[in-house]
Amino acid sequence: MADRLLFSKAGTARYISHLDLMRTFQRAFARAGISIKHTEGFHPHPFVSIPLPLSVGFSSQCEVLEFGLTGGAEREEVPARLNAAMPSGITVHRCYEAEKPVKQLTYVNYIVTMEYDPGAPFGAERAIRDLLARESLVMDKRSKKAKSGVVQVDLIPLIAKATVEERRDTIALDLVLRAQNPGLNPELVVAAIRTHCPQAAPDFVSFHRRAVLDGKMEPWE
Amino acid sequence: MNRALEQILPRVQKPARYTGGEYNAVVKDRHQADLRYALCFPDTYEIGMSNLGLRILYGVMNGMEGVWCERVFAPWTDMEEEMRRAGISLYGLESGDPISGFDIIGFSLGYEMAYTNVLNMLDLAGLPLRSADRPGLAPLVVAGGACAYNPEPLAPFVDLFVLGEGEEVTPEYIALYRQAREECWSKEEFLREAARIEGIYVPAFYEPVYKPDGTLAELRVKEGSGAPERVRKRIVEDFEHSYFPVRTIVPSTEIVHDRVMLELFRGCIRGCRFCQAGYVYRPVRSRSPERLARYGKDACRDSGYQEMTLSSLSSTDYPGLLPLCDQLLDYCAPRDIGLSLPSLRADTFSMNLMDRLQRVRKGGLTFAPEAGTQRLRDAINKNLTEADLLQSVRTAFSGGWSGVKLYFMLGLPTETDEDVLGIADLARKVYAAWREVTPNRARGVRITVSTSWFVPKPHTAFQWEGQITREEYQRRVDLLRDAFKKDRSITYNWHDPDTSWLEAVFSRGDRRLADVLEYAWERGAKMDAWSEHFDFPRWLDALAACGVDGDFYAHRQRPRDEVFPWCRIDTMVTPDFLWREREKCYASQVTPDCRSKCSGCGANRLLKGGVCDG
Ligand code: SF4
Repeated sequence: MADRLLFSKAGTARYISHLDLMRTFQRAFARAGISIKHTEGFHPHPFVSIPLPLSVGFSSQCEVLEFGLTGGAEREEVPARLNAAMPSGITVHRCYEAEKPVKQLTYVNYIVTMEYDPGAPFGAERAIRDLLARESLVMDKRSKKAKSGVVQVDLIPLIAKATVEERRDTIALDLVLRAQNPGLNPELVVAAIRTHCPQAAPDFVSFHRRAVLDGKMEPWE
Repeated sequence: MNRALEQILPRVQKPARYTGGEYNAVVKDRHQADLRYALCFPDTYEIGMSNLGLRILYGVMNGMEGVWCERVFAPWTDMEEEMRRAGISLYGLESGDPISGFDIIGFSLGYEMAYTNVLNMLDLAGLPLRSADRPGLAPLVVAGGACAYNPEPLAPFVDLFVLGEGEEVTPEYIALYRQAREECWSKEEFLREAARIEGIYVPAFYEPVYKPDGTLAELRVKEGSGAPERVRKRIVEDFEHSYFPVRTIVPSTEIVHDRVMLELFRGCIRGCRFCQAGYVYRPVRSRSPERLARYGKDACRDSGYQEMTLSSLSSTDYPGLLPLCDQLLDYCAPRDIGLSLPSLRADTFSMNLMDRLQRVRKGGLTFAPEAGTQRLRDAINKNLTEADLLQSVRTAFSGGWSGVKLYFMLGLPTETDEDVLGIADLARKVYAAWREVTPNRARGVRITVSTSWFVPKPHTAFQWEGQITREEYQRRVDLLRDAFKKDRSITYNWHDPDTSWLEAVFSRGDRRLADVLEYAWERGAKMDAWSEHFDFPRWLDALAACGVDGDFYAHRQRPRDEVFPWCRIDTMVTPDFLWREREKCYASQVTPDCRSKCSGCGANRLLKGGVCDG
């Protein structure tokens, strides 16, 4: 079975792209002197994989990276050694043996914070709640596979849970979304709000990934 | 992180370039730092972070007590637009603080086409462009790098130029700046004192006086300024013990040279007559293989890079190359770390070495014969024979390489049509060599020939030469293109003439070009090294509006006694030597390399013992 890391991505590290993040980990393992499994082939390189890529700009407290320790380092010492070798904003919390296969990764919990410069408009919270309570909510989504470059997705079946909460200048969405096959990016939920509730369109949005869950809504580890 | 920045980053491409926070980025306590330095590179993050000189200065300065040196790059146009709209001024990547509040702003100048970015960055920082419009001591605007060897086109914008290698002179002018601040000197007072430091050129103290024909009568030293007649470049004499960035920033996003760069030596023994770097970085100074091996391993260990490159002007000339490579390979091979040599000479020694290096991609191999015939190669002192080249490609092709790139220049002094067509001949011989030795003919071969339009550079043997005219360049391109018509395995590319012409204008330009720069910048010129932003008509318009004739700088043949705009800059390679080299070119005579025989260029005077180690 493979090894996994649980790490968070915050601050400046939010802007590191998926590919760059994998490179960053490969190098961090080397810096930390932790040897890990290499790929086969003519140009072997350290193998790492991040099952659920995070969009650039999102923060997260529950990122998972898969790799294989090849001896030399105990799991317990991996987080501290890696943290000493990381760019700012990436913190490794735990190193553990993988329990559940990637295909069981079913839901992702996001906190979406929508900010309004003049304060949250009156009725916005209600409108968003109504929108997410519809039977069906079809949006265009960019797709590389489709000939036209867009496909239509119904968001509702992909939203397992949605809580809308208004604070002073913000509206926070606590969303549990399908993780994969197909998954739903919370940006599409915000896009739906902009389209269907223009009065509730935020001035700025931040996205935070809070938890990755299995089919029973238990933490996926 | 600053909120305004946070709001614009989601809208720009590759935002990781604008955040800092990389591994080994130096973050100091604002209150402990009494001197804030903005180290600016007038191009993108990816290019700037690939520059070893920048990393060296960053390390040297941050090693100084109380100095906090931060990096600043030119934002790409989408980011610039967002910054201007949000009212964010240019900031240091480490602190996010606006650089307008820093003490010193230093630019590294690598090529002329980045000049407009210098102006744009000053403007983005909210600073007046011209030195005269910045009356205060801070921020002081400094510039160094290869282009500083002809500082005149940027003279009105920059407070002082640093000539040569910056490791030692930078702490010197920083110390002087601190004293000036302590004792409340005016900027003028500071500059006067700074001009006494060897290697510092204060343009305000030199005044160009022109003749009616537009050439320089003199670059007059301002009376009472105390500025020296000649500003001698600085070198690090003890290169063995000089700072090397073992611990250096590892970008979190991919850059152009994303690997450990090991600097074996400074300078070059070869003396190619067209090459500015070859002359201005003299004399050669090397590090010992033992030290380099240690640095290389430590740098790999600290960075986690999986690739290392040996970077110097002509790395295969390094005397300890074999023992060094052996030591490095012992470390790299078991760890799957690739080792590469960027500047290969076409000789058997190098090819054998290539074979031993691990993980070199057997795709394309690059050689730069520069000229098509032996006669012309002798004339430019490019020490490379056809036999060597063909032997090398034979070795490569029989070892399974399937492509080779050949670089040439058109318009070199004394070039004839025979030399131009010689390029085609040489490429065909390379093709024939492939057919002869390849183990796999079915796979085919890619031979790419690229020609650029020769740009004469200051401080070289060709500083007096006119660049051939555009029509003539085009005619030679056409000649070569016709010659290649039937060769289906040879691809021929030639450089865009507009950029090369402008480069020729600026590289030997004088202070009158500053107005042209400013005019073009005001009308949107920036990122001129990027073809998508380069707008040639805009430059023609700027030249015309300022009454400046570009051809005067690009194409004019200068007499021996011409007063050059860079006449106050002393590389310690004497003009007499350069002229001798020029004459030897016209006689197609070669000059031996520094290791075989000293030719008395004068650069030895930079060393205490007065003897180059060759
Ligand atoms: S003084 Fe002689 S050995 Fe030294 S750089 Fe000049 S030519 Fe070469």
